[in-house]
Amino acid sequence: MHIPDGFLSTPVWATLDAAAIPAVGYMARRAQRGFDDAKVPLLGVMGAFVFAAQMINFPVGIGTTAHLLGGALLAYTLGPAAASVTMASILAIQALVFQDGGILALGPNMINMAIAGVLAGYLPYYLWGGGRWRRASIFAGGVLSALVSAVLALSELLISGVRMPLSILGVSLTLFLVAAVMEGAITVAVIGALEKIQPNFVRQPREGRPFALGAAALAGLLLATVGALVAAAAPDGIERLGVQTGIASRAQALFSTPFTGYQAAFVAAGWQRKTLGGLAGLALVYGACLIFGRAVARKRSA
Amino acid sequence: MHHIVLERWSRGTSGVHRLDPRAKIVPLLALLAALATARHALPEFSAAVFAMLCAALLAARVPLFPALARAALVLPFAAVFAAVCWISGDPARGVALALKSYLSALAVLTVVATTPLPLLLRGLEWLRVPMFLLTVAQFLYRYLFVISEEAQHMRKAAAARGTPQRRLASGGARFRAAAGALAVLFARSYGRAQDVHRAMLARGFTGRLHPLFDLRFRRADAAFAALASLAPLAARFAVERMP
Repeated sequence: MHIPDGFLSTPVWATLDAAAIPAVGYMARRAQRGFDDAKVPLLGVMGAFVFAAQMINFPVGIGTTAHLLGGALLAYTLGPAAASVTMASILAIQALVFQDGGILALGPNMINMAIAGVLAGYLPYYLWGGGRWRRASIFAGGVLSALVSAVLALSELLISGVRMPLSILGVSLTLFLVAAVMEGAITVAVIGALEKIQPNFVRQPREGRPFALGAAALAGLLLATVGALVAAAAPDGIERLGVQTGIASRAQALFSTPFTGYQAAFVAAGWQRKTLGGLAGLALVYGACLIFGRAVARKRSA
Repeated sequence: MHHIVLERWSRGTSGVHRLDPRAKIVPLLALLAALATARHALPEFSAAVFAMLCAALLAARVPLFPALARAALVLPFAAVFAAVCWISGDPARGVALALKSYLSALAVLTVVATTPLPLLLRGLEWLRVPMFLLTVAQFLYRYLFVISEEAQHMRKAAAARGTPQRRLASGGARFRAAAGALAVLFARSYGRAQDVHRAMLARGFTGRLHPLFDLRFRRADAAFAALASLAPLAARFAVERMP
């Protein structure tokens, strides 16, 4: 799901663009460290492969076809940092040449698909890819990478004020889930075929990662994604919490004072409240996961 | 493939084509930002922006109607969300979504149709986009057509062997066949990448693409960049102050 320009509200695209610059830069540096500098042709050609892979259709169900999205597959073969850079350059070319996704929305799109999507796809494989659960972890990676990207994109649209009745939201979430399961199945099948051709195409993660830590990381990821969606779809809940604790009235006064007397005051307060609600929810979830992770880590080291 | 058209447009020789890529990127960003933040009097502002972009396309001697049709590629996506907004009782926002996304796409198209992609990426380098990312994007664009053609050959070969015949194979078998085809395409792309890399090493590649000439930012470029960046802002100011 490539978001075009004009869909996201200014605070959303500006924040995510600002976040995407260091994130992609970091990934580029990491990828350069893992590969020697002169291996750039490999990443470019594999990006072209992901484009071309869209031409090969997979039959799924009655008369419908699906195609590979590629984030998880690239992470398993090139490594997560290189996969991120490859996906980011794919998104840049799509935005420039194919009018698929916007330029100001490039940051959000990169965060959704090249950073969060790739990392979410790599996480299960990184944790359990070495052991008995290998195939399941590949499948889970494919599902997660597609689902996390789609849900993040949807939440960004909702935070931006694209209103959506609950029924339509439910339908689109179901469709995302189906598409994500297909991506998982395709990824498993392609990795299987690839290992038959040449096993060393696929990276082998180390065995025996601590299970609890992995489960916590995965739960954190899911919670953060779902939390973002809930915060985006229903900021009222968080708002009510704010009203009850008395924060909201103070915050609102703080934000709307400079605008009083203008028509823009109400609108501005609206998006600020929504964005604040979303960010506050995310921060809460993040903090909870952080504390939980620390606790688990301390317990293990004790 | 239909995007080869873009490649042909970008090789033109008009004054707009000869401008420094940076002198086109800066106004593009200004226009996109002005468009994205516009709230009041959107239809009037859109008309002004549309007129400016059409003027730029005409000045660049890019065929106008094919370009306008190409930018409409974003409309299906926008239409879905516009319809959703309409249903949930916010038609104004639906119209705004469609207008903004179409005009933004047209603006990007105007720049890409008047600047060859390698030059455009060099312009982005000046904006401090990571060099590594841009080099990867360059390679991606160069081999996009090669690998796509390979995929098409494979599809044709598969069709010649009878893949479309639903009766001959079960869904599962066809699914596995597609996975196998993709794995073969992966292996071939990987092998090609290694060949390309070795050939480049043999020619003295050190990880950086060396341009054959330097970009020169002349006074005309500066003037154009300043004017073209201010024009949408001025238009927006005028439209919003209109009674």
